[in-house]
Amino acid sequence: MLPAAGEPAAGDSWGMLACLCAVLWHLPAVPALNRTGDPGPGPSIQKTYDLTRYLEHQLRSLAGTYLNYLGPPFNEPDFNPPRLGAETLPRATVNLEVWRSLNDRLRLTQNYEAYSHLLCYLRGLNRQAATAELRRSLAHFCTSLQGLLGSIAGVMAALGYPLPQPLPGTEPTWTPGPAHSDFLQKMDDFWLLKELQTWLWRSAKDFNRLKKKMQPPAAAVTLHLEAHGF
Amino acid sequence: MPEDYTPDVRTDYIAQMMDISLYLKRPSRMGDSKRMRMTSNFQWLLLTVLLLYLMNQVNSQKKRTPRDLKCITNNLQVWDCSWRAPSGAGHGAAYEVCFENGSHSCYRLEKNIKLPALLPGDHEITINPLHDFGNFISKFTLNEKNVSLIPDAPEILDLSADFSTSTLHLKWNDKGSVFPHHSNVIWEIKVLRKKNMEIVKLVTHNTTLNGRDTVHHWSWISDMPLECATHYVGIRCYIDDPQFSGRKEWSDWSPLKNISWSPASQTKVFPQDRVLLVGSDITVCCVTQEKVLSAQIGSTYCPLIHLDGKNVAIKIRNISASESSGTNVVFSVEDNMFGTVIFAGYPPDIPQKLNCETYDLKEIICTWNPGRPTFLVGPRNTSYTLFESFSGKYVRFKRVELPTNESYQLFFQMLPNQEIYNFTLNARNPLGQSESTLLVNITEKVHPHIPTSVKVKDISSTAVTLSWHLPGSFAKIKLLCQIEINKTNSVHELRNVTMRGIENSSYLAAVDKLNPYTIYTFRIRCCTDPFWKWSKWSNEKQYLTTEAIPSKGPDTWREWSSDGKNLIIYWKPLPINEANGKILSYNVSCSSDEETQSLSEIPDPQHKAEIQLDKNDYIISVVAKNSVGSSPPSKIASMEIPNDDLKIEQAVRMGNGILLTWNYDPNVTCDYVIKWCNSSRSEPCLMDWKKVPSNSTETIIESDQFRPGVRYNFFVYGCRNQGYQLLRSIIGYVEELAPVVAPNFTVEDTSADSILVKWEEIPVEELRGFLRGYLFYFEKGERDTSKMRVLESGRSDIKVKNITDISQKTLRIADLQGKTSYHLVLRAYTDGGMGPEKSMFVVTKENSVGLIIAILIPVAVAVIVGVVTSILCYRKREWIKETFYPDIPNPENCKALQFQKSVCEGNSALKTLEMNPCTPNNVEVLETRSTVPKIEDTEIISPVAERPEDSTDAQPENHVVVSYCPPVIEEEIVNPGADEAGGASQVIYIDIQSMYQPQAKPEEEPENDPVVGTGYKPQMHLLVTSTVEDLAADDDLDKTAGYRPQANVNTWNLVSPDSPRSTDSNSEIVSFGSPCSINSRQFLIPPKDEDSPKSNGGGWSFTNFFQNKPND
Repeated sequence: MLPAAGEPAAGDSWGMLACLCAVLWHLPAVPALNRTGDPGPGPSIQKTYDLTRYLEHQLRSLAGTYLNYLGPPFNEPDFNPPRLGAETLPRATVNLEVWRSLNDRLRLTQNYEAYSHLLCYLRGLNRQAATAELRRSLAHFCTSLQGLLGSIAGVMAALGYPLPQPLPGTEPTWTPGPAHSDFLQKMDDFWLLKELQTWLWRSAKDFNRLKKKMQPPAAAVTLHLEAHGF
Repeated sequence: MPEDYTPDVRTDYIAQMMDISLYLKRPSRMGDSKRMRMTSNFQWLLLTVLLLYLMNQVNSQKKRTPRDLKCITNNLQVWDCSWRAPSGAGHGAAYEVCFENGSHSCYRLEKNIKLPALLPGDHEITINPLHDFGNFISKFTLNEKNVSLIPDAPEILDLSADFSTSTLHLKWNDKGSVFPHHSNVIWEIKVLRKKNMEIVKLVTHNTTLNGRDTVHHWSWISDMPLECATHYVGIRCYIDDPQFSGRKEWSDWSPLKNISWSPASQTKVFPQDRVLLVGSDITVCCVTQEKVLSAQIGSTYCPLIHLDGKNVAIKIRNISASESSGTNVVFSVEDNMFGTVIFAGYPPDIPQKLNCETYDLKEIICTWNPGRPTFLVGPRNTSYTLFESFSGKYVRFKRVELPTNESYQLFFQMLPNQEIYNFTLNARNPLGQSESTLLVNITEKVHPHIPTSVKVKDISSTAVTLSWHLPGSFAKIKLLCQIEINKTNSVHELRNVTMRGIENSSYLAAVDKLNPYTIYTFRIRCCTDPFWKWSKWSNEKQYLTTEAIPSKGPDTWREWSSDGKNLIIYWKPLPINEANGKILSYNVSCSSDEETQSLSEIPDPQHKAEIQLDKNDYIISVVAKNSVGSSPPSKIASMEIPNDDLKIEQAVRMGNGILLTWNYDPNVTCDYVIKWCNSSRSEPCLMDWKKVPSNSTETIIESDQFRPGVRYNFFVYGCRNQGYQLLRSIIGYVEELAPVVAPNFTVEDTSADSILVKWEEIPVEELRGFLRGYLFYFEKGERDTSKMRVLESGRSDIKVKNITDISQKTLRIADLQGKTSYHLVLRAYTDGGMGPEKSMFVVTKENSVGLIIAILIPVAVAVIVGVVTSILCYRKREWIKETFYPDIPNPENCKALQFQKSVCEGNSALKTLEMNPCTPNNVEVLETRSTVPKIEDTEIISPVAERPEDSTDAQPENHVVVSYCPPVIEEEIVNPGADEAGGASQVIYIDIQSMYQPQAKPEEEPENDPVVGTGYKPQMHLLVTSTVEDLAADDDLDKTAGYRPQANVNTWNLVSPDSPRSTDSNSEIVSFGSPCSINSRQFLIPPKDEDSPKSNGGGWSFTNFFQNKPND
């Protein structure tokens, strides 16, 4: 479920600050900046994980604003519509067994593909938004999401996985046809935000798992302590 | 139905019919008068039966002829007449119908006849049934008035629906070609809804028939989306032909046609994405196969209106403006939800403050204010079109994000050779449109751009040229530009420049009358002629004008050095507006008839030069030089013309400065010079000087250097041809202050009755003002005693002398006492106040004669008194003895001591105890005699048996009125250890509880005996050991006992949470006295009698009941 609309609590801003600090802390660990030698994929996984957490916070405030824009009942806390339409949105929910059976490459590929699609939809959302403030928030989030996509691509490159190639003709496009009513559009927007949220949760889990796998035990302890900051 | 036509039937029964009709009327009359008489009813009944019989006869006769000829028309051209066939005539019976219409014509036909419309007037028609029953020919008179006009039921040509707008379109033909002439038609259309055909609309629609078939249209917008339910439409008409005199009736309803939406399998909500006006009503329905559980608009739930099947609708009344994404309407079914979005807003307001102007005569910019917000955004936002009618060109407003309050703007490319533009701004949104127009001559609405590239160039030291760039096609118009000239520390100046406009060019303007070597700040703005708006000010451009030669020589003065050998020449730096540049150096030259001395190139910061000269007459000239050249020389003569008649005057600042005046002197030709200096400085003393024109006689000297309390010397010089003459010498203060020191004084001489005092002058620096006098105080007094005393002139014992003659330096004080110490004080004063005082103690010399007299007179008086007393004593010795030395009295008889004694012996006499300070509280205190301790004994031993009466009995004997004082509580007395010691002077404080609980500590009785035997007793005895049942007797006790606590003791017990529970005493602790009463808690201490130590044990205290009882 998406968080209810409203102002982010004080804790959120602290969390965001902590995230930013963590991102800054790990900035020297970005391979492009670090010339001392190849540190392996560990730092870039950590960076991607941090970015995921940061995006979660960002999405929380964006979703609050956007659901308020959609109006009641979309911004009501117990609003849980069926997933009408929105079929093209990549689903984040997956059976636990299936998830466990995925290997790192598949996981990363799915993440990459999902965010590529979601980013495309999100840009469409941005074009549709009626208020300038909303457009600004959405554009900001799109930029962040683009960064996450880049990070995932970086991790995949570091691990030696090829990037998934979009099949020709399957490039998702945002075409709000005339048959698509405003209400269904709003439902799609709602689901887009919800799927984004779920994907970010799933990605955080994925990268945490990947991180633990890649880090030597000593480093894992440090990171574990840092994770308490969130 | 058309009224029955009554044919004029010729029969043999006419007379009978008349009778019958008479009879027919009668029963009705009888009916009216029924209540009058009932007795004759029977007679009437018989008559009625008879009448009915006769009627039947007549009818049977009538039934055998064609009856009830009825004619109707549906097109006014043919009358369709029908009649009722005679009884017995079978189906297909034939009739011969004949009628007169110009000619007699007969038709043989069945049932009815179609006649051409007959002319107005009566026409006779005979109908002869062609059958065997006889010749019953019916004759009718037919008139147009008896014909009914009933048009044919109209036929609906087409019924269509526009579902998107919920509009029904009806199309029908009026078949006007069949009607001979024009007439009005009223159409009535009904709209029915749902399967049960609820009428939702019944409307009339007026048209005219014009002899041709015309197809009419009617549209209706449904309040409910047409998809929600089946809609049926029917129509009928009424032809109102003014020329037709017969009856006009409505046609039959046309067959109903319906419109229904063929639902796809998917559930849908209607209308979808509808835009509507704020405040309107709307019905939203859900076409579904599932059961709808709830419906809500926004977050508000709405009651469901059930339609056909499982379809439901909700009615929203007076809808409020939507948020930017619209108002959501959601229908929830078991596991799904369907919805639609409604956009409630307003049609666009008329664009306000439409204004079109141009910056550059190339492009017109039109701005406007959208007015009231429409609450519609995104694709439903207001779109604007700016249309120019002369050229027919238009531009559309592209949606940009703007806050709604800010103005919108559109650019329109100007057309060559067009100056007048007629703009129409059209605003349109789904709810409507509005427009606003503006006719403008654009050459009068030029708001130039901000001038750019402002540059300054020199022309001379006082003139520059300014150039700037102004984009725009101003070739045909005049420009007016304003140049703002700002000089530091000066008001800004505006100069207007008019110039011809040029195509996209730079403009140039000369600015003159500037000062050399001055920093100017220029900025420019422009407008066109005629004026519309100024452009914004250009950026400021700072410019320093070039230097010019100094316009004047420096202001010069000269002083002879103190030794008189050197002449010191002073000059002041030139002010910036006279220097006209940076002064680099000065040249000084001294010339006499014989020689010339010159000092050249004295660098700028130095403003003084010293030249060794003899006392000859020299002319000194000073020239200032800057990079451009030298100033004209300023000259001054070295000679000073002596002035013998010179007085030193005084001056004090009045207002802003020190005012100096002098008499007009015609000999003074050049000017007056006032120079001043600090009087305490050594010669040559010069602080500053000031030159005043020769025609003035006064000046005010102001300077920031002046300080209060400092004496300045001012010298007024008059300039003559030969040199300067000192005219006046003035000393002055800008502000007088009190002296900082006291005059130093000494005692010159002292005698027995006078002192001569001498003092010194106060130095000028310390005087700080003009000395106005001295104050001299003197009084008798020793050094020590008067040291701290402040001299006040108001005191009578202080003598004051005010010495206003400031030249006086001595003072003799006379009429003093000899050998007396005097305190002398001297202080100086100015107009600024009193200075500090200086004091001195002087003892006058001894006066020997007075001393001798002072000794001798008292000795003589003493001797005389002694002698007289001795004589008197001797004479009256007997009486003195009797009076002062009687026989020694017997102490036994001394009554004064009796009281003391009786107390000592412990007699039970009444006594009064007075203790001070004392606030008498009339508390009755029992002082039990030590000889009567029985009451306490019984009380202790058997408290239950105690009677309040007992104590009242005992009281009269022991009644002692003791005024007790609220005592100072002496803490050490409460020491429990001291209690046991039972010291003679100690007061024992015993808790009431311990007092009244003898069973618990019976062994202590003997010790307590004397304690309780004396002192204060409560006015009543309470049974402390009483249990709950004992408390029931309290009411009785109240009546008998004296003082009672103000409230029920029992309740206090309950409200004392801190009261300790004595487990060993097995009794409830009872509180005594009001816990709020402070007085009752005070100790009542009987008089402390040292001689009767036993009575001291009776100190009582209402100890705090909330405390633990003291140690037994």
